[in-house]
Amino acid sequence: MSVAPLRTVDTQIVPDAGAGTESGTAGTAISVDGVRKIYDTGRERTEAVSGVSFDVKRGEFVAILGPSGCGKSTLLMMCGGLESITSGRIDIEGVAMTQPRPSIGVMFQDASLLPWKTVLENILFPIKILKRPMAEYTERARSLIDMVGLHGFEDKKPHQLSGGMRQRVAICRALVYDPDILLMDEPFSALDAITRDEMGEALLDIWEQYTKTALFVTHSIREAVLLADRVLVMTRRPATIVEDIRIPFGRPRPRDVSGSPEFNEICVYLRSLIESGHGAAQGRRSGDGPVLQPGRRGA
Amino acid sequence: MSITANSSGAAILDIAAPSRVRRLIRANMAVILPVATALSVLIVWQIVTVAFQIPRVILPAPSEIGAHFLTNLPALLNHARHTGLEALGAFVLATAAGATLAGLMAAFPLAREILQPNLVAFQLIPKIALAPMFIIWLGIDTPSRLAFAVFMSFFPVVISTTVGLSNTDPVSLRLCRSLAASGVQTFFQVRVPFALPYLFNGMRIASTMAIIGVVVAEFISSRAGLGFYILYSSSRMETVGIFSALLMLCIVGLVLFGAVVLAERIVRRTYLA
Repeated sequence: MSVAPLRTVDTQIVPDAGAGTESGTAGTAISVDGVRKIYDTGRERTEAVSGVSFDVKRGEFVAILGPSGCGKSTLLMMCGGLESITSGRIDIEGVAMTQPRPSIGVMFQDASLLPWKTVLENILFPIKILKRPMAEYTERARSLIDMVGLHGFEDKKPHQLSGGMRQRVAICRALVYDPDILLMDEPFSALDAITRDEMGEALLDIWEQYTKTALFVTHSIREAVLLADRVLVMTRRPATIVEDIRIPFGRPRPRDVSGSPEFNEICVYLRSLIESGHGAAQGRRSGDGPVLQPGRRGA
Repeated sequence: MSITANSSGAAILDIAAPSRVRRLIRANMAVILPVATALSVLIVWQIVTVAFQIPRVILPAPSEIGAHFLTNLPALLNHARHTGLEALGAFVLATAAGATLAGLMAAFPLAREILQPNLVAFQLIPKIALAPMFIIWLGIDTPSRLAFAVFMSFFPVVISTTVGLSNTDPVSLRLCRSLAASGVQTFFQVRVPFALPYLFNGMRIASTMAIIGVVVAEFISSRAGLGFYILYSSSRMETVGIFSALLMLCIVGLVLFGAVVLAERIVRRTYLA
């Protein structure tokens, strides 16, 4: 379990392609073990997540792919300590997850910037909450702003920005206090298709420089394949993981990879999985376990 | 500027030559329209009273009211001072109490569960009907008028602020939780700023309710104030005096209302900066 971290959390550029994908020696950042979530309203019990297990290595970018309402967001929120776990166990950096901690950054579907604060103030909001030295982090915030292409917008208010720009600010806000792990809950799903692609690229740019462990929830197949080192496929309720595939494209990821035949092949395969998952989920009794066994590594 | 001989010639002129005056008018339409409407009502009022020789006791002409207002200005100002100060005091107390109570209800869910339904039910009581009780409880002087005005203006503040505090953007609250923010941090850095527009909305309503409260209380017991002046004028069948007092009440109301708007601007600029 305790293995030396792949790299220091010092956030410097390590242009070591495939570091997160190849290395079997990297420590486990997130360990999810038999996690279930049951919403019990008293009148009825809904199983949102049922018996999900997986590990995420340090420095790895993992996407959880599944149809809307399949419980993947609930799973992510449990990893962030924002939802209680009904049974099972989530360990983050070896410590059981019971409540939120600042070493985990969360990005939500909605940028939800504070409307009365400027871009810079919004990005520095976590610093204020965590009572860290403002002056020190202002510089970091400014470099993040430059990196996501918001230079010159530091003093604008959220209502003066487009949806994509707001989500860029949210990326900066999630990274400014340097969390070890980044949890992203469909952060681009509210954006139009073109902006969405741009945001994917912006996220790749920034992630390849800061390399955090990342767990990214999405219902977009292409987005998952474009961004992630590994894709976990979830089916609809009760939500289980039916596939765990490794994406063979290295880092830094070529931006034109989405045009390659291999990319499309993976997308087609994932789509067929999700579609058969639908049928299977309806056809089988709950608790039968995954339709496909995980472990088809290196597709 | 020549006009083309065209069926829509006027329209073309309109677009081609927006004179400076016309542009000014268009820019200030929001002011011009209501003022013009009010002025035309006054003019019609004046014409009707003169033309139909309506008795002064029934409806005095605007010109008479204006003249009466100016000649009695010192007395009216003195009465306005009484009413205005009591209304201001009541408004400040109601705002402080209402905001505090709303804050407590937001911070302690149990307090909200206990108080909120009761507040809503209480809100339904026609509060003016209780005015005589305040005389019985607190006597015939300032304390009873003040208390009654506070009673009138307190509810808009507490209800509006409570709505504001419970309408905080849920994702922002989640963000705070993900940062392990303390309850105090979340309250003052996220919930209160989100609730401020609601608080000021409640305060704007409270400012008018406070004046109503004081005037009603003055109707019941007072030796000065605009409510007293109205009652006094009416007992002497001096209708023009009632209208003068009403005009003065409008001015007092506008001043208090304006003060709230100004305060909102200042708070937005400082607290939310």
